[in-house]
Amino acid sequence: MKRGSTRNKVIGGVVALALTFVLYQGIVNARVFFYNVDEAIAQQAELGDRTFRMQGTVVAESGTSEGGALVFTVAYNDATAQVRHVGPEPSDLFDLGEPVVVEGHWNGDVFESSQILVKHDESYVEDNPNRVDYNLDTGVG
Amino acid sequence: MSSIARKLAGPSSSRGTRILGALALVSTVLLLLLGLIWSPREVDQADAVRLMYVHVPSAVVGLYFAFGVTLVGSIVYLRKQSDFWDLMAHAGAEIGVLFCAFVLVTGALWGRPTWGVYWEWDPRITSTTVTLVLYLGYLAVRRMDLDPVVRSRRAAILGIISFANLLIVKQSVEWWRGLHQGSTVGIDTQMDGLMFFTLAWGVLTFTLIFAWLLMHRFRLAWYEHQAAAVSLDDAIAARRGEHRSSLAGEAI
Amino acid sequence: MHWQYVIPGYVIVFAGLGVYTASLMSRLRSAARKIPEEKRAFLE
Repeated sequence: MKRGSTRNKVIGGVVALALTFVLYQGIVNARVFFYNVDEAIAQQAELGDRTFRMQGTVVAESGTSEGGALVFTVAYNDATAQVRHVGPEPSDLFDLGEPVVVEGHWNGDVFESSQILVKHDESYVEDNPNRVDYNLDTGVG
Repeated sequence: MSSIARKLAGPSSSRGTRILGALALVSTVLLLLLGLIWSPREVDQADAVRLMYVHVPSAVVGLYFAFGVTLVGSIVYLRKQSDFWDLMAHAGAEIGVLFCAFVLVTGALWGRPTWGVYWEWDPRITSTTVTLVLYLGYLAVRRMDLDPVVRSRRAAILGIISFANLLIVKQSVEWWRGLHQGSTVGIDTQMDGLMFFTLAWGVLTFTLIFAWLLMHRFRLAWYEHQAAAVSLDDAIAARRGEHRSSLAGEAI
Repeated sequence: MHWQYVIPGYVIVFAGLGVYTASLMSRLRSAARKIPEEKRAFLE
Protein backbone atom coordinates (compact mmCIF):
# COMPACT_ATOMS: atom_id res chain seq x y z
CA MET A 1 0.00 0.00 0.00
CA LYS A 2 2.88 2.38 0.80
CA ARG A 3 4.31 1.98 -2.69
CA GLY A 4 0.86 2.50 -4.19
CA SER A 5 0.30 5.80 -2.43
CA THR A 6 3.70 7.11 -3.63
CA ARG A 7 2.73 6.17 -7.18
CA ASN A 8 -0.59 7.96 -6.79
CA LYS A 9 1.20 11.12 -5.71
CA VAL A 10 3.66 10.95 -8.61
CA ILE A 11 0.87 10.44 -11.15
CA GLY A 12 -1.21 13.26 -9.67
CA GLY A 13 1.81 15.56 -9.50
CA VAL A 14 2.82 15.02 -13.13
CA VAL A 15 -0.71 15.68 -14.40
CA ALA A 16 -1.11 18.77 -12.20
CA LEU A 17 2.24 20.13 -13.42
CA ALA A 18 1.34 19.55 -17.09
CA LEU A 19 -2.02 21.26 -16.64
CA THR A 20 -0.42 24.22 -14.85
CA PHE A 21 2.16 24.61 -17.60
CA VAL A 22 -0.45 24.61 -20.39
CA LEU A 23 -2.77 27.04 -18.58
CA TYR A 24 0.19 29.30 -17.71
CA GLN A 25 1.29 29.42 -21.35
CA GLY A 26 -2.26 30.11 -22.47
CA ILE A 27 -2.74 32.97 -20.00
CA VAL A 28 0.69 34.54 -20.54
CA ASN A 29 0.20 34.51 -24.28
CA ALA A 30 -3.35 35.82 -24.04
CA ARG A 31 -1.82 38.86 -22.33
CA VAL A 32 -0.14 39.81 -25.61
CA PHE A 33 -3.05 41.94 -26.75
CA PHE A 34 -4.66 41.23 -30.04
CA TYR A 35 -6.01 44.30 -31.83
CA ASN A 36 -7.48 44.94 -35.22
CA VAL A 37 -5.71 47.67 -37.22
CA ASP A 38 -8.38 50.31 -36.49
CA GLU A 39 -8.24 49.59 -32.74
CA ALA A 40 -4.44 49.65 -32.69
CA ILE A 41 -4.50 53.08 -34.33
CA ALA A 42 -7.19 54.39 -31.97
CA GLN A 43 -5.15 53.27 -28.96
CA GLN A 44 -1.74 54.22 -30.33
CA ALA A 45 -1.04 56.67 -27.47
CA GLU A 46 -1.82 54.20 -24.68
CA LEU A 47 0.07 51.39 -26.38
CA GLY A 48 3.30 53.40 -26.61
CA ASP A 49 6.09 50.98 -27.45
CA ARG A 50 4.38 47.96 -25.83
CA THR A 51 4.45 44.69 -27.79
CA PHE A 52 1.08 43.53 -29.10
CA ARG A 53 -0.47 41.72 -32.03
CA MET A 54 -2.29 43.42 -34.84
CA GLN A 55 -4.65 41.78 -37.28
CA GLY A 56 -5.36 43.08 -40.76
CA THR A 57 -5.40 42.24 -44.44
CA VAL A 58 -2.37 42.90 -46.62
CA VAL A 59 -3.45 45.62 -49.06
CA ALA A 60 -0.14 46.80 -50.52
CA GLU A 61 3.35 45.38 -50.68
CA SER A 62 6.27 47.76 -51.05
CA GLY A 63 8.85 44.99 -51.25
CA THR A 64 12.07 44.71 -49.32
CA SER A 65 13.78 47.90 -48.12
CA GLU A 66 17.56 48.44 -48.01
CA GLY A 67 17.76 47.29 -44.36
CA GLY A 68 16.38 43.88 -45.32
CA ALA A 69 12.99 44.80 -43.88
CA LEU A 70 9.76 43.69 -45.51
CA VAL A 71 7.48 46.71 -45.91
CA PHE A 72 3.75 46.40 -46.51
CA THR A 73 0.40 47.90 -45.60
CA VAL A 74 -2.38 46.21 -43.65
CA ALA A 75 -5.99 47.30 -43.40
CA TYR A 76 -8.99 46.55 -41.21
CA ASN A 77 -12.32 48.38 -41.09
CA ASP A 78 -11.06 51.10 -43.47
CA ALA A 79 -8.04 51.89 -41.29
CA THR A 80 -4.59 51.22 -42.72
CA ALA A 81 -1.16 50.95 -41.16
CA GLN A 82 2.30 50.56 -42.56
CA VAL A 83 4.28 47.57 -41.29
CA ARG A 84 8.06 47.21 -41.34
CA HIS A 85 8.98 43.60 -40.66
CA VAL A 86 12.43 42.38 -39.65
CA GLY A 87 12.57 38.71 -38.71
CA PRO A 88 11.69 35.27 -39.97
CA GLU A 89 10.10 35.11 -43.41
CA PRO A 90 6.35 34.63 -43.41
CA SER A 91 4.82 31.45 -44.86
CA ASP A 92 4.22 31.04 -48.61
CA LEU A 93 0.62 32.10 -48.12
CA PHE A 94 1.69 35.67 -47.38
CA ASP A 95 0.22 37.65 -50.24
CA LEU A 96 -2.00 40.58 -51.15
CA GLY A 97 -5.49 40.06 -49.81
CA GLU A 98 -4.43 37.55 -47.13
CA PRO A 99 -5.29 38.28 -43.49
CA VAL A 100 -2.21 38.39 -41.26
CA VAL A 101 -1.37 38.81 -37.60
CA VAL A 102 1.81 40.81 -36.96
CA GLU A 103 3.54 40.94 -33.60
CA GLY A 104 5.52 44.03 -32.65
CA HIS A 105 5.09 47.64 -31.53
CA TRP A 106 4.47 51.15 -32.79
CA ASN A 107 7.42 53.29 -33.81
CA GLY A 108 5.80 56.57 -34.69
CA ASP A 109 3.17 55.72 -37.28
CA VAL A 110 4.98 52.61 -38.48
CA PHE A 111 4.38 49.20 -36.92
CA GLU A 112 7.70 47.44 -36.29
CA SER A 113 7.02 43.73 -36.67
CA SER A 114 9.13 40.81 -35.52
CA GLN A 115 6.76 38.02 -36.53
CA ILE A 116 4.17 37.57 -39.28
CA LEU A 117 1.54 34.86 -38.96
CA VAL A 118 -0.74 34.26 -41.90
CA LYS A 119 -4.27 33.72 -40.68
CA HIS A 120 -6.07 31.45 -43.07
CA ASP A 121 -9.84 31.76 -43.21
CA GLU A 122 -12.33 28.92 -43.54
CA SER A 123 -12.43 28.91 -47.31
CA TYR A 124 -11.20 25.90 -49.22
CA VAL A 125 -11.05 26.55 -52.93
CA GLU A 126 -10.05 23.97 -55.48
CA ASP A 127 -6.84 24.87 -57.26
CA ASN A 128 -7.52 24.93 -60.96
CA PRO A 129 -4.54 23.57 -62.90
CA ASN A 130 -5.38 25.88 -65.79
CA ARG A 131 -5.04 28.94 -63.62
CA VAL A 132 -2.15 30.95 -64.99
CA ASP A 133 -0.69 32.35 -61.78
CA TYR A 134 -0.17 28.95 -60.25
CA ASN A 135 2.28 27.56 -62.74
CA LEU A 136 4.44 30.62 -62.28
CA ASP A 137 5.43 30.04 -58.68
CA THR A 138 5.54 26.31 -58.30
CA GLY A 139 6.38 24.77 -61.62
CA VAL A 140 6.24 21.24 -60.31
CA GLY A 141 3.41 19.41 -58.59
CA MET B 1 -25.99 -7.37 -17.81
CA SER B 2 -27.75 -6.27 -20.96
CA SER B 3 -27.65 -8.26 -24.14
CA ILE B 4 -25.57 -5.54 -25.86
CA ALA B 5 -22.97 -5.90 -23.16
CA ARG B 6 -22.97 -9.65 -23.59
CA LYS B 7 -22.38 -9.32 -27.32
CA LEU B 8 -19.67 -6.70 -26.95
CA ALA B 9 -17.77 -8.61 -24.34
CA GLY B 10 -18.17 -11.98 -26.00
CA PRO B 11 -15.39 -14.09 -27.49
CA SER B 12 -12.62 -11.88 -28.79
CA SER B 13 -13.77 -12.02 -32.37
CA SER B 14 -17.33 -12.14 -33.58
CA ARG B 15 -18.91 -11.93 -37.02
CA GLY B 16 -20.12 -8.39 -36.32
CA THR B 17 -16.74 -6.98 -35.37
CA ARG B 18 -15.02 -8.76 -38.26
CA ILE B 19 -17.40 -7.13 -40.74
CA LEU B 20 -16.93 -3.76 -39.05
CA GLY B 21 -13.16 -4.21 -39.16
CA ALA B 22 -13.22 -5.05 -42.87
CA LEU B 23 -15.41 -2.01 -43.60
CA ALA B 24 -13.05 0.23 -41.64
CA LEU B 25 -10.05 -1.09 -43.59
CA VAL B 26 -11.67 -0.61 -47.01
CA SER B 27 -12.84 2.84 -45.98
CA THR B 28 -9.31 3.73 -44.84
CA VAL B 29 -7.83 2.71 -48.20
CA LEU B 30 -10.40 4.88 -50.00
CA LEU B 31 -9.67 7.76 -47.63
CA LEU B 32 -5.96 7.55 -48.45
CA LEU B 33 -6.72 7.60 -52.17
CA LEU B 34 -9.21 10.45 -51.82
CA GLY B 35 -7.08 12.46 -49.43
CA LEU B 36 -3.68 12.05 -51.04
CA ILE B 37 -4.45 11.58 -54.75
CA TRP B 38 -7.99 12.16 -55.96
CA SER B 39 -8.87 15.35 -54.10
CA PRO B 40 -7.57 18.63 -55.53
CA ARG B 41 -4.95 20.86 -53.95
CA GLU B 42 -6.16 24.09 -52.47
CA VAL B 43 -5.45 27.42 -54.12
CA ASP B 44 -3.56 28.94 -51.13
CA GLN B 45 -2.65 25.99 -48.92
CA ALA B 46 -1.64 23.77 -51.86
CA ASP B 47 -1.25 20.16 -50.66
CA ALA B 48 -1.24 21.12 -46.97
CA VAL B 49 -5.04 21.12 -47.21
CA ARG B 50 -4.83 17.30 -47.28
CA LEU B 51 -3.97 17.30 -43.58
CA MET B 52 -7.51 18.55 -42.95
CA TYR B 53 -8.93 15.15 -44.00
CA VAL B 54 -7.33 13.50 -40.97
CA HIS B 55 -7.24 16.52 -38.64
CA VAL B 56 -10.95 17.33 -38.64
CA PRO B 57 -12.15 13.67 -38.43
CA SER B 58 -9.75 13.04 -35.51
CA ALA B 59 -11.22 16.08 -33.76
CA VAL B 60 -14.87 15.21 -34.42
CA VAL B 61 -14.54 11.53 -33.54
CA GLY B 62 -11.98 11.85 -30.73
CA LEU B 63 -13.21 14.95 -28.97
CA TYR B 64 -16.96 14.49 -29.42
CA PHE B 65 -17.65 10.79 -29.99
CA ALA B 66 -14.96 9.19 -27.82
CA PHE B 67 -15.08 11.70 -24.98
CA GLY B 68 -18.87 11.73 -25.40
CA VAL B 69 -18.87 7.99 -24.61
CA THR B 70 -16.81 8.81 -21.51
CA LEU B 71 -19.32 11.50 -20.51
CA VAL B 72 -22.35 9.22 -20.93
CA GLY B 73 -20.56 6.32 -19.22
CA SER B 74 -19.56 8.55 -16.30
CA ILE B 75 -23.07 9.91 -15.80
CA VAL B 76 -24.73 6.48 -16.00
CA TYR B 77 -22.10 4.99 -13.69
CA LEU B 78 -22.68 7.65 -11.05
CA ARG B 79 -26.45 7.18 -11.22
CA LYS B 80 -26.67 3.40 -11.49
CA GLN B 81 -23.21 2.05 -10.54
CA SER B 82 -23.28 0.12 -13.82
CA ASP B 83 -19.98 -1.69 -14.41
CA PHE B 84 -20.73 -1.81 -18.13
CA TRP B 85 -20.80 2.00 -18.40
CA ASP B 86 -17.83 2.41 -16.09
CA LEU B 87 -15.71 0.25 -18.40
CA MET B 88 -17.17 1.93 -21.48
CA ALA B 89 -16.18 5.36 -20.11
CA HIS B 90 -12.63 4.12 -19.61
CA ALA B 91 -12.47 2.64 -23.13
CA GLY B 92 -13.75 5.89 -24.70
CA ALA B 93 -11.20 8.02 -22.86
CA GLU B 94 -8.21 5.95 -23.98
CA ILE B 95 -9.19 6.11 -27.66
CA GLY B 96 -10.11 9.77 -27.32
CA VAL B 97 -6.63 10.59 -26.00
CA LEU B 98 -5.06 8.88 -29.03
CA PHE B 99 -7.25 10.86 -31.46
CA CYS B 100 -6.73 14.10 -29.54
CA ALA B 101 -2.97 13.62 -29.94
CA PHE B 102 -3.53 13.18 -33.70
CA VAL B 103 -5.45 16.47 -33.75
CA LEU B 104 -2.53 18.37 -32.19
CA VAL B 105 0.16 16.71 -34.35
CA THR B 106 -1.64 17.17 -37.68
CA GLY B 107 -2.63 20.70 -36.67
CA ALA B 108 1.01 21.60 -35.98
CA LEU B 109 2.12 20.11 -39.30
CA TRP B 110 -0.55 22.18 -41.07
CA GLY B 111 0.32 25.32 -39.12
CA ARG B 112 3.94 25.44 -40.25
CA PRO B 113 3.29 25.91 -44.01
CA THR B 114 0.11 27.94 -43.49
CA TRP B 115 0.53 30.25 -40.50
CA GLY B 116 4.31 30.07 -40.53
CA VAL B 117 4.70 28.36 -37.14
CA TYR B 118 4.14 24.85 -35.79
CA TRP B 119 2.77 26.00 -32.49
CA GLU B 120 1.01 29.08 -31.20
CA TRP B 121 -0.64 29.46 -27.82
CA ASP B 122 -3.81 30.32 -29.69
CA PRO B 123 -7.11 29.79 -27.78
CA ARG B 124 -8.11 26.76 -29.87
CA ILE B 125 -4.74 25.07 -29.55
CA THR B 126 -4.38 25.88 -25.87
CA SER B 127 -7.87 24.60 -25.01
CA THR B 128 -7.31 21.42 -27.05
CA THR B 129 -4.03 20.82 -25.19
CA VAL B 130 -5.85 21.35 -21.88
CA THR B 131 -8.33 18.68 -23.03
CA LEU B 132 -5.53 16.22 -23.77
CA VAL B 133 -3.96 16.78 -20.35
CA LEU B 134 -7.32 16.46 -18.56
CA TYR B 135 -8.06 13.11 -20.19
CA LEU B 136 -4.49 11.93 -19.54
CA GLY B 137 -5.33 12.81 -15.94
CA TYR B 138 -8.48 10.71 -16.25
CA LEU B 139 -6.40 7.73 -17.45
CA ALA B 140 -3.95 8.39 -14.60
CA VAL B 141 -6.78 8.25 -12.04
CA ARG B 142 -7.77 4.93 -13.63
CA ARG B 143 -4.30 3.57 -12.85
CA MET B 144 -4.23 4.80 -9.28
CA ASP B 145 -3.91 2.29 -6.52
CA LEU B 146 -7.27 2.88 -4.85
CA ASP B 147 -10.35 0.99 -3.84
CA PRO B 148 -12.02 0.14 -7.22
CA VAL B 149 -15.31 1.84 -6.30
CA VAL B 150 -13.59 5.03 -5.13
CA ARG B 151 -11.42 5.01 -8.25
CA SER B 152 -14.39 4.57 -10.60
CA ARG B 153 -16.31 7.35 -8.86
CA ARG B 154 -13.39 9.79 -9.02
CA ALA B 155 -12.79 8.94 -12.68
CA ALA B 156 -16.49 9.48 -13.48
CA ILE B 157 -16.46 12.94 -11.87
CA LEU B 158 -13.34 13.85 -13.85
CA GLY B 159 -14.95 12.42 -17.01
CA ILE B 160 -17.85 14.85 -16.61
CA ILE B 161 -15.75 17.90 -15.73
CA SER B 162 -13.37 17.27 -18.64
CA PHE B 163 -16.22 17.19 -21.11
CA ALA B 164 -17.35 20.63 -19.95
CA ASN B 165 -13.94 21.85 -21.06
CA LEU B 166 -14.77 20.73 -24.60
CA LEU B 167 -17.43 23.44 -24.79
CA ILE B 168 -14.57 25.92 -24.33
CA VAL B 169 -12.68 24.23 -27.19
CA LYS B 170 -15.77 24.46 -29.39
CA GLN B 171 -16.42 28.12 -28.64
CA SER B 172 -12.76 29.22 -28.44
CA VAL B 173 -12.70 30.34 -32.07
CA GLU B 174 -15.72 32.58 -31.45
CA TRP B 175 -14.94 33.88 -27.95
CA TRP B 176 -11.33 34.93 -28.36
CA ARG B 177 -9.30 36.33 -31.18
CA GLY B 178 -6.73 33.89 -32.37
CA LEU B 179 -5.14 32.34 -35.39
CA HIS B 180 -7.35 29.31 -35.83
CA GLN B 181 -10.05 29.63 -38.46
CA GLY B 182 -13.71 29.24 -37.63
CA SER B 183 -15.58 25.95 -37.80
CA THR B 184 -14.59 23.98 -40.87
CA VAL B 185 -18.16 23.09 -41.62
CA GLY B 186 -20.20 26.16 -40.81
CA ILE B 187 -22.37 28.85 -42.34
CA ASP B 188 -19.45 30.91 -43.65
CA THR B 189 -17.50 27.95 -44.95
CA GLN B 190 -16.70 27.81 -48.56
CA MET B 191 -15.51 24.39 -49.65
CA ASP B 192 -15.40 22.84 -53.07
CA GLY B 193 -17.28 19.60 -53.78
CA LEU B 194 -14.63 16.88 -53.78
CA MET B 195 -12.87 18.46 -50.81
CA PHE B 196 -16.11 18.37 -48.85
CA PHE B 197 -16.78 14.78 -49.92
CA THR B 198 -13.26 13.73 -48.86
CA LEU B 199 -13.73 15.42 -45.50
CA ALA B 200 -17.08 13.69 -44.99
CA TRP B 201 -15.48 10.38 -45.99
CA GLY B 202 -12.75 11.02 -43.45
CA VAL B 203 -15.34 11.50 -40.69
CA LEU B 204 -17.10 8.28 -41.76
CA THR B 205 -13.83 6.32 -41.84
CA PHE B 206 -12.71 7.58 -38.44
CA THR B 207 -16.14 6.75 -37.03
CA LEU B 208 -15.82 3.14 -38.25
CA ILE B 209 -12.28 2.88 -36.88
CA PHE B 210 -13.46 4.33 -33.59
CA ALA B 211 -16.40 1.91 -33.31
CA TRP B 212 -14.10 -1.06 -33.94
CA LEU B 213 -11.49 0.15 -31.46
CA LEU B 214 -14.13 0.93 -28.84
CA MET B 215 -15.59 -2.59 -29.01
CA HIS B 216 -12.18 -4.17 -28.60
CA ARG B 217 -11.03 -1.76 -25.92
CA PHE B 218 -14.26 -2.47 -24.05
CA ARG B 219 -13.61 -6.21 -24.29
CA LEU B 220 -10.15 -5.70 -22.84
CA ALA B 221 -11.63 -3.69 -19.95
CA TRP B 222 -14.23 -6.41 -19.41
CA TYR B 223 -11.61 -9.17 -19.36
CA GLU B 224 -9.54 -7.21 -16.86
CA HIS B 225 -12.63 -6.67 -14.75
CA GLN B 226 -13.37 -10.43 -14.87
CA ALA B 227 -9.74 -11.29 -14.08
CA ALA B 228 -9.88 -9.03 -11.01
CA ALA B 229 -13.06 -10.83 -9.91
CA VAL B 230 -11.40 -14.21 -10.53
CA SER B 231 -8.36 -13.27 -8.48
CA LEU B 232 -10.67 -11.99 -5.73
CA ASP B 233 -12.54 -15.32 -5.77
CA ASP B 234 -9.22 -17.17 -5.60
CA ALA B 235 -8.09 -15.04 -2.70
CA ILE B 236 -11.31 -15.72 -0.82
CA ALA B 237 -11.03 -19.45 -1.59
CA ALA B 238 -7.41 -19.48 -0.42
CA ARG B 239 -8.41 -17.65 2.76
CA ARG B 240 -11.14 -20.20 3.41
CA GLY B 241 -8.66 -23.02 2.76
CA GLU B 242 -6.24 -21.54 5.29
CA HIS B 243 -8.98 -21.15 7.80
CA ARG B 244 -10.09 -24.72 7.32
CA SER B 245 -6.57 -26.11 7.67
CA SER B 246 -5.94 -24.04 10.79
CA LEU B 247 -9.17 -25.40 12.27
CA ALA B 248 -7.98 -28.86 11.33
CA GLY B 249 -4.69 -28.11 13.06
CA GLU B 250 -6.49 -27.14 16.26
CA ALA B 251 -8.55 -30.29 16.14
CA ILE B 252 -5.41 -32.38 16.18
CA MET C 1 3.85 21.54 -52.57
CA HIS C 2 4.06 21.06 -48.77
CA TRP C 3 4.19 17.28 -49.08
CA GLN C 4 6.97 17.33 -46.46
CA TYR C 5 4.27 18.20 -43.90
CA VAL C 6 1.45 16.09 -45.34
CA ILE C 7 3.30 12.75 -45.46
CA PRO C 8 4.56 12.81 -41.85
CA GLY C 9 1.05 13.74 -40.72
CA TYR C 10 -0.55 10.77 -42.48
CA VAL C 11 2.26 8.45 -41.36
CA ILE C 12 1.88 9.48 -37.71
CA VAL C 13 -1.90 9.05 -37.77
CA PHE C 14 -2.10 5.71 -39.58
CA ALA C 15 1.03 4.20 -38.04
CA GLY C 16 -0.29 5.40 -34.68
CA LEU C 17 -3.59 3.62 -35.31
CA GLY C 18 -1.73 0.48 -36.39
CA VAL C 19 0.51 0.42 -33.34
CA TYR C 20 -2.42 1.07 -31.01
CA THR C 21 -4.45 -1.71 -32.64
CA ALA C 22 -1.56 -4.18 -32.41
CA SER C 23 -0.99 -3.37 -28.74
CA LEU C 24 -4.72 -3.62 -28.05
CA MET C 25 -4.81 -7.09 -29.63
CA SER C 26 -1.84 -8.29 -27.60
CA ARG C 27 -3.32 -6.86 -24.38
CA LEU C 28 -6.61 -8.60 -25.23
CA ARG C 29 -4.91 -11.96 -25.71
CA SER C 30 -2.97 -11.78 -22.48
CA ALA C 31 -6.05 -10.58 -20.54
CA ALA C 32 -8.13 -13.44 -22.01
CA ARG C 33 -5.57 -15.96 -20.76
CA LYS C 34 -6.02 -14.75 -17.19
CA ILE C 35 -9.67 -15.72 -16.96
CA PRO C 36 -11.24 -19.18 -17.18
CA GLU C 37 -12.60 -20.23 -20.57
CA GLU C 38 -16.24 -20.24 -19.50
CA LYS C 39 -16.10 -16.65 -18.25
CA ARG C 40 -14.93 -15.27 -21.62
CA ALA C 41 -18.20 -15.91 -23.34
CA PHE C 42 -20.74 -15.73 -20.55
CA LEU C 43 -21.05 -12.56 -18.65
CA GLU C 44 -23.18 -12.23 -15.62
